[in-house]
Formats: sequence, C-alpha cells, structure tokens
Amino acid sequence: MPTTASASSTSGPDGGPSSLVARLSSSDPDVKLKALREVKNQIIGSKTKKLSYIKLGAVPRVASILSAAIADGDCFQPAPAASVRGMLGYSSNVVVQSAAALGSFACGFDDGVQAVLAAGALPLLVRLLDHPDDKVVDAGARSLKMIYQSEFAPKYEILERGSLEFLVSLLNREGENVTELGAHIIAHSCRTFEEQKVMLEAGVLKRLVSLLDGSVGQRDASLGSLAAAFKNNSEVIKEFLGPHGGKSFNAILRLTMDSNAKTRLLACQCLIVIRDATDCYIQELGLNRKLVNTLLELLDDPGQVGDESPFVLSSLVLGKEDLHTIALEADAMVKFHDCMEKENVNPRRLRGVLLALADLCSKLEICRSTFLSMQVLKPLIGFLNHKEEDIRIAACTCLKNVTRSIKNLCAGYFMKNEALVTALVLLLMDASEEVQVAALGVVSNIVVDFTTQKSMFVAHEGMQQLFGLSKSMVPAVRSNALWALRNMTFLADDRCKEAVYLGMTPSLIADLICDDELSVQEQALALVRNLVDGSVESIEQVFADDGIILDAAGSQLQCGPNAEVLIQGMYVLGNIACGNEIHKEAVMCLLFPLVGRGPEPFFVNFLLSTDSRLRLATVWVLINLTLPSPGALNRQQRLQKEGVLSIVRSMVNDPCLDVKIRVKTLLTQTELGDF
Amino acid sequence: MEALNVPMADTPVVTFWEGEIVDIKNYTFFTGKWEAMPDDDIKHWTKFPSFAPFQSQVQADGGKSLDLSNYPFIFMRWKEQYFVNVGTDCGLTIAGFYYVCFSCADVTINGFYYDPNSSPFQKLELKSANEGKTGFSFSSYELQ
Repeated sequence: MPTTASASSTSGPDGGPSSLVARLSSSDPDVKLKALREVKNQIIGSKTKKLSYIKLGAVPRVASILSAAIADGDCFQPAPAASVRGMLGYSSNVVVQSAAALGSFACGFDDGVQAVLAAGALPLLVRLLDHPDDKVVDAGARSLKMIYQSEFAPKYEILERGSLEFLVSLLNREGENVTELGAHIIAHSCRTFEEQKVMLEAGVLKRLVSLLDGSVGQRDASLGSLAAAFKNNSEVIKEFLGPHGGKSFNAILRLTMDSNAKTRLLACQCLIVIRDATDCYIQELGLNRKLVNTLLELLDDPGQVGDESPFVLSSLVLGKEDLHTIALEADAMVKFHDCMEKENVNPRRLRGVLLALADLCSKLEICRSTFLSMQVLKPLIGFLNHKEEDIRIAACTCLKNVTRSIKNLCAGYFMKNEALVTALVLLLMDASEEVQVAALGVVSNIVVDFTTQKSMFVAHEGMQQLFGLSKSMVPAVRSNALWALRNMTFLADDRCKEAVYLGMTPSLIADLICDDELSVQEQALALVRNLVDGSVESIEQVFADDGIILDAAGSQLQCGPNAEVLIQGMYVLGNIACGNEIHKEAVMCLLFPLVGRGPEPFFVNFLLSTDSRLRLATVWVLINLTLPSPGALNRQQRLQKEGVLSIVRSMVNDPCLDVKIRVKTLLTQTELGDF
Repeated sequence: MEALNVPMADTPVVTFWEGEIVDIKNYTFFTGKWEAMPDDDIKHWTKFPSFAPFQSQVQADGGKSLDLSNYPFIFMRWKEQYFVNVGTDCGLTIAGFYYVCFSCADVTINGFYYDPNSSPFQKLELKSANEGKTGFSFSSYELQ
C-alpha cells in the first residue's frame, strides 16, 4: 500500500520533522547545513508547517546556529586569500541559510515572528547588515523586513541616540532589501509627533519620496512609511508638501495609477492619511472621486489587495456625506452587492464590504433607499447566521445603519420581515457579548415602529430576551438592552408598558437607574420616561413597590453628574407632573426633599446649566406643576418662596429659542400667583 | 399623519410624510417642484400672518439674506409619500403637499394643501392634545 502524499513530503529518507529538527543540532556541519535548507524549504508558504516546526523547537535551534556562525567572528573579516575562501564561503552559507529560515518562519505569520523574537534572533539578524558579503546582508535585511511587517515587531526607538543615523544609513544603502527594511521600520515605529518631526528634519521624508521611483518593493515600503510619518501631523505635512503639494504630492498621486494593485492601494491610503490630517490638497484638487473610483476598482483584485480595499474605502468615506454621494454615483452599492452575492467570499473581504456598506448607509437616506431597493436584505439576513463572529457583527453594523431609515421604519419594512426578526432574536442569545451588543443596535432601531404592532418581535420572545439582557454582567449589553426597550416603549400602548413592568419589575428598574454605568442610568431613566408618558394609569405604575422607581430617579437627580442622565430624569418628573394632584405633589416632594426651608433646591442648578436641553426639561417640569389645577396655586407659591421663579424670570432672554419660549409660557402661567 | 372619520375608509388613514424646513440655506420659500410656481408659493405663504414681515424681501430676492433661526414660527412644506395602512382607493389624495406654519409659542400647526387638481387652500389645523392630562409629556426614542 503506498504512503500518503503528506507523509512522504514530511518524512524524507532521514525521517520526519522531529528528526529534521534534531539534525539542526548535529555536530556534523554538512548535516546541519542540509537540515537548515530542508527546514527552510519545508516551511515556505505553509503556516501549518511553520507552526508544526515551531512547536518542535526548530526556531531556537536555527537561531543558535546563526549565533554560533556570527560568534565564529571570521565571517565578518574582509575576504582573505583564495585558499581559505572555501571555509568562509561555508560559514557565510550557514549564515545565509539560517537567516533565510528565520525569515521564512516570520513571513506573513505572527506566531512565527513571535517565535523568532523569543529566540533572540533579532539582534543577530541586525548584525548581518554590516557583513562584507552582500548576500549575507541581503538575507539579514529580508528576514528583518518580514519581522518589521508584523505588529509584533518591537518598536524601533527612533529618538534614541544613534538610531536615526542607522535608519538613514539603511535608506541610503544600495541593496533594495536594505532600503525597504529602513522604510518598513519607519512604517512600523514612527508614531509620535516628535518622531515624525525628526524624520522630516533629517531629510528622511525626502529620501522616501525618491524611493517612490524605485522598485515595486521600495515604492510600497516608502508609501507605508510616508503614511506613518504624516499620520495626524498637519505641521509635518504642510512643511514637507508646501501649500500646493508640489512634486512629492504628485509623486504619491501618480502611484494611484500604477500598474501594481498593491501600490495603488497604498498610494490611496497615504493620500487619505494626508486628507485626514490637513483636509486640504485632496479637497482642493477634487481628488475624492478619483480615490473612490480607484478603490472600487481594486475590489476586483482577487487577492489581498481586494480584501483590503473596502477597509480603505471606509476610511475615506467615514462620516462624510459628500463622499457617500460620490460613492453612490460610482455604483459602489452595486459592486458591494455583487461581492456579497458571490459564493465562498473571503471572510476578510466580506467583512470589509459589509462595514463599507454600513458607512455608506450611515447618514444619507438616498443610500439606504438604494441599498434596500437592491433586495440585499435577504443575503444580509443570511450573514447574521455566519459562522464567523466578525461577519455576524459586521452584518449587524450594516443593518443598524440601514434601519435608520425612518421612511422604512414607518412602513413596517423591517418588523414585518419574519426572517430578520427571527435571526436577530437568535443573535440576542449569541455566545459572544459583542455580537449581542451589535444585534441590540439593530433591534433598538427596528422596534421604533410607529404604527405596526410589534407582535412579531414579541411572539418570538424578543421582549423576554431584552429583559434578560438588561440583567447582563456586561455594561454595554445592559445599556443596549435598555435602549431597545426604551425605543420599544416610545408612544407605546398600555399593554406594551404593562408587559415591561411585568418582565422587569420595579425593583430591577430602580437598580438600573442607580447602575454604576452612566449609559445604563441614562437609558433606564429614558425607559421610565416613556413608561410614564401616556394615560394617567400609566403614571400610577411608577408608584408601585412604595415608589421605589421614583425614589431612584430622585436620588440620581440629586447627585447625578451627567447631563444626559439629568435630562432624562427631569423628563420623568415632567411626565409624572402631567398626572393628578397626587402625582404632582409627589414630584414636588422630589424637587424639595428637605422639610421646611433648606439650602437652594438642587434643580435650580439645572435652570442655570450651560446645557439648553437640561434647562428646557426643567422648565417643562415647572410648567406642568403650575398649569391650572386645584393645587397649582400652592405650588406656584412654593416656587416663588424658594426663589425659583426669580431665576426663571432671569431667563427671559435665554439664548436658546425653545427655552425662551417656554420661560415665557411659564411666567405667563404664573402671573396670577406672582407675589 | 392620521386622518380620522374618512368617509370611504373603515379605519383612520395613516400616511407617511417627509418635510422640508424653510431655513433659507437648505430650503427657501420657493418650492421649485411639485407643480408649484413662485406665484403659488407667495399666495400660500401670505395666508400665514407670521409670514408678513418677510413678504417683501422674499418677493424681491427670495429672502436669501433672512435669518429665521430665532423666529418663533417655523415654515415647512410637508409631502406625503405613501399610505401606511390603506390602499390608494381610500378616497384621499396625497398627490399634492402642504404649506405649513408651526407656532412655537402656542404649539399649533396651520397648513394649506396645494394640488393643482384639488380645491385650493384646503386648510390643515392641528393643536396639541393632552388627552386628559394636565400637562405636556414627552416620549422619546433615539436611533442607533
């Protein structure tokens, strides 16, 4: 019976991987060299094999070989007479092979990079850069390049003494791999304002721009390092590029039309970095459309460039309506839709496309309408069930932005879609809390359904899930579950509100109002605000369990530091103050908690707040307390005595029109009770 | 918008509408679409007393230098887009649009329907309804 292919490739005539690794420690130099070559050949292009040899301890052994060869010392001497050249040639060969093997372990594989670093190989490889033999230098530079393209490479301290000079020397050397190494180190390590400034002053940026005319590798590495040198630093950019961009800018721009796809992508990225830091050049030169078109074309690349292009497009259009429009006109939606419809799309690419779609639908209704008109909801719902967590999250993010469409919410477009509702309720039970939070974002929007009954969601136990998630240990889950409940109870009928009280209990609601997290407090109070908006009967519910909910709201209003929490709290009081006399007096007790005359009422600060929304919410409470009713006069007198109405009078020219109008309403209302 | 007591409908008729706020920057007093000519615009806006201070300027140059941000009235156009709960045979039309004025002070909305194929100046009057409550209460939602 023949052996399997995998067995025959890994177990040569001298045994399997374990045996091969053992031979790396052989005392016979020929065996050792042969083993080095074999390991290198085995692992090229195979992450599985790299991992397997790492686990067998190959990396430290290779590093040890390299170390011994360097310690040998002779290999760093200038070339001697021909008679001894053979031995040195052998030593250099060992160095080259061991360096290459280490580079292979590190190439495109973070576990490999970490193993190489852990074996102490980095300084050994750096030493090779001074070797008289160009082949050795090249092998060292190539391997170091692999390391510095990984996020796990150590930061190169550019500002340390001698470091900048070394970097400059690399950039000015002859060998392509050495100059590329210099550029990759900059791309990886140049992060601070000071480092960027030093790069500029040392002429490094000028050298990098000159490398844009070099080989493909030099161009790509230089684009990455220029982006790092420019990032968030408008001063360096303006000083280097000048007022109109000049030759350097044009050199980068030209590369957006390069024949190499990766170069085009990197050039676009660099231009986006410039745009983000300075907001000029690109805008002035009308280059946005060009960038959008280039990035959309790159989506056709079948490889890594195509996988990355949607992410770069996202960074270009994020938050910018004018760019959303340009992308729409460039048929971005069509391209993304086509990508989504393909089978076996690379998960990274799919995630990028979903997130780019999410960005495009984030602000403009026209984009959402276009998206929905393409019948993409069905495949999108399918991605909610994807086995990859990142895809489920990206699909939720996309849906969340699409469901910002008030037009379609009003038409019940989402809530009537059983497949969507079912998939979302399932995601609320996802093992990943991040997925739960993402799904809650979508649910929060679709439950704002102004006319259609929410029966589908309720029937699938969606509400039960929300109640459960409001008790989660994870703050983001709690606050988002409350957000969804709050939206669900917007203008809801009493039946819906009763279901919430039954599912949540007054005690739980009170606890959430006093939660450690501000976002939870805010959403809990916003929920109560909606629960007490409506009939007088709906206000009664908040008095259950000895008014525990009301007490919690009151205590937050007295000590809450956050405007958003206070605003919701005051609207709770304002809504309760729409009820009967008992309700209004309960609000008065909360506003004036101390019996008799005490220090200034806490809510006076709200009237003086710099946040106009808080001032307005407070004025509404006072309006509702003093509207004509049996006890209104007494309440007016109390407000007058406590100095509240005097403060209100000082607000007649409030800079916020809404506040100004309501202050006028309040003062007109209290004229008869003015003492 | 919910219309009650519609003769040909069994239930109240709900429509979805989209509005344009006249802020001079994004939308001016001139409609520029929906078969409404500038003359039609002026005829309708002048039916609101609160428009009087701006009439001459709007007629002269479209009111391009007006600042309405602190004016206690908000001018809008409302265009109904579709029927939410009934068919198009309910006896109501949504072919036209409304010129609308919202009074911030007394919380009232007045409007006039415009449709070249309908009777002119059909009035819309909306007032805040407290539904038995003694006060103004506010529900809220926030989209994520």
